[in-house]
Amino acid sequence: MANRRLSRIIGIVSIFFIASQATAQTENWMRAFNDTRVINGQSVETSFKGDMKFIISHRFGGLNGGFYELFGLDQSTIRIGLDYGVTNRLTVGAGRSSNGKTYDGFLKYRLLIQQKDGAPFSVTLYTNTAINTLEWTEPDRENYFSSRLFYTHQVMFARRMSDNLSIQLMPTVVHRNLVANDNVSHDVYALGAALRYRLTHHLAVQAEGYYLPLEQIGAPYTMPLSIGIDIETKGHQFQLSLSNSLGMTEKIFITETTQLWEKGGIGIGFNITRDFKVKGRK
Amino acid sequence: MKVKALVILLGLSFTFSAFVKQSAPPVHEDSRLVDVLMALGQPAPKHYLAQVDPVQVAIGSTLVHEGKATSADGKNGSYISTIFVCTDCHNQVKEDPNPASPNPEARMSYAIANNLPFLQATTFWGMVNRESWYNDDYIIKYGDWIAPAKESLYESTQLCARECSSGRTLEAWEAEAINHYYWSLELHLRDLGLKQDEFQRLNKAISSEDASLKSSALGMLKSKYMVASPADFVDPPSDRRLGMSNEFTGDAQRGAEIFNRSCMQCHRYGGPSLFVMDDSKKTKKLFAKHIAKQTPFALYDIVRYGTHAEPGHRQYMPLYTLDRMSHQQLEDLRVFLTSW
Repeated sequence: MANRRLSRIIGIVSIFFIASQATAQTENWMRAFNDTRVINGQSVETSFKGDMKFIISHRFGGLNGGFYELFGLDQSTIRIGLDYGVTNRLTVGAGRSSNGKTYDGFLKYRLLIQQKDGAPFSVTLYTNTAINTLEWTEPDRENYFSSRLFYTHQVMFARRMSDNLSIQLMPTVVHRNLVANDNVSHDVYALGAALRYRLTHHLAVQAEGYYLPLEQIGAPYTMPLSIGIDIETKGHQFQLSLSNSLGMTEKIFITETTQLWEKGGIGIGFNITRDFKVKGRK
Repeated sequence: MKVKALVILLGLSFTFSAFVKQSAPPVHEDSRLVDVLMALGQPAPKHYLAQVDPVQVAIGSTLVHEGKATSADGKNGSYISTIFVCTDCHNQVKEDPNPASPNPEARMSYAIANNLPFLQATTFWGMVNRESWYNDDYIIKYGDWIAPAKESLYESTQLCARECSSGRTLEAWEAEAINHYYWSLELHLRDLGLKQDEFQRLNKAISSEDASLKSSALGMLKSKYMVASPADFVDPPSDRRLGMSNEFTGDAQRGAEIFNRSCMQCHRYGGPSLFVMDDSKKTKKLFAKHIAKQTPFALYDIVRYGTHAEPGHRQYMPLYTLDRMSHQQLEDLRVFLTSW
């Protein structure tokens, strides 16, 4: 079993590596989103070769916490992460979220890129492994390291429909090694959708949501829905959002969202990214 | 013994005289320009190479196009600049239809006909045949650094690598390889459009001992190509809202060519600039809004002054001199960017 898993991992890594060796001219590439994140989740975009992206994200609790919780500010969660463009198609990244003291690492590969007079849409593959490092709630029983692990696999399809409008669909599966009870699933299937509408050259409205049959995750969890604005400056990206999720990695915002929009469970959040050139472009 | 030595000496002198006679063959279409200039009495330039090494040319080409290379003895180089490569600002082929009188209008027509970018800096084609670099107003931008760079292709390449590309000083092997690459783009007489009588004049001057004949032929030859690339810095119009519309009528179609062949070389998605542009209404509106201002998006200021590298943000835009983009072309670009 372990050998099969190892060979599968080696196979996936090899495919990424071989595919990343293919050189690609970027002249006619079209971008669907300004940044590699829509709001909580990934966009179809990747970093270019040699680009290091530092990302700091905050999510706050629901506005329905009222003045006592200062409208959610007392429930701050944070993720700090770094992405790096190994090639123009392959990005690796890692981060740490305060929510669940979760470390995550990912690979993201652009399989197909929308181009003027070329491919009509973009496809990006994404795989993430997250490790929850909270202290065991029951340290006296036998606990396994594997119980801390969560895997996300995603295929993103995106198309820039016009100068202003881009849409994205992302079929997703999140695998949880340990679940709360037998009534919920280890494998959670979800279908994400996102859109971006440019208001000005620098400013865009973005939205992102995931549909999933809720019996997979059980009560009290629900589906995440987020809207936000994206402000592009040279070298920086600012994303301000409203979301019912406190998560910034898939395993949290897809499978552990608890707040409801209709009950005021809407938290303010933001992502700030800064790009650094570490290596040349060619 | 003495007789033997005399015979050998005579033999050697005969061979040598025959060699000397062969060293001045008639010039022809494929003659290297530099060799003809030297035959007419011009000293060899400091960067002169009698032989161009194809291995070094390949290494130099990689450095120019990709920004880093491996040396002939296997040493892995680092990126000269993490931001720019030479080809972001320099074409590598002939870019002026008439090398003797470069001008931006003819250059744009030639760029359209040959699908070339329209860039801020001069082409590497014929770079080794120029006699000075960073000419005229570049002293305004680079001050005292200009003096050595103006007189030496080696120094000007180092200045470009260090300052213009926000990079580093070239190592000796890199500079050498780039010099070999430059020489692979040298001018030959076929590039100058000489007439038959001008070839005859050159041949006559070379075989003659008459210094005035040589000097006259040298002058004729130098009138056929660009010995130094002019660089005239100009200010934006004082009334930026009006621009130069009183003197020049912009043409949006020509402006679109400038946008695609100039702006989008760097401001495309995946290009060296972090400010990504497209020809959408939203981008045009941004420029229209800033046209009369002095902001990072004010067209006239960006084109005529460029932008500056900042700590932590070394991407910048080199300016367009009047010799690389005319007033008319700037008005064409303005009309394109402010109409939708």
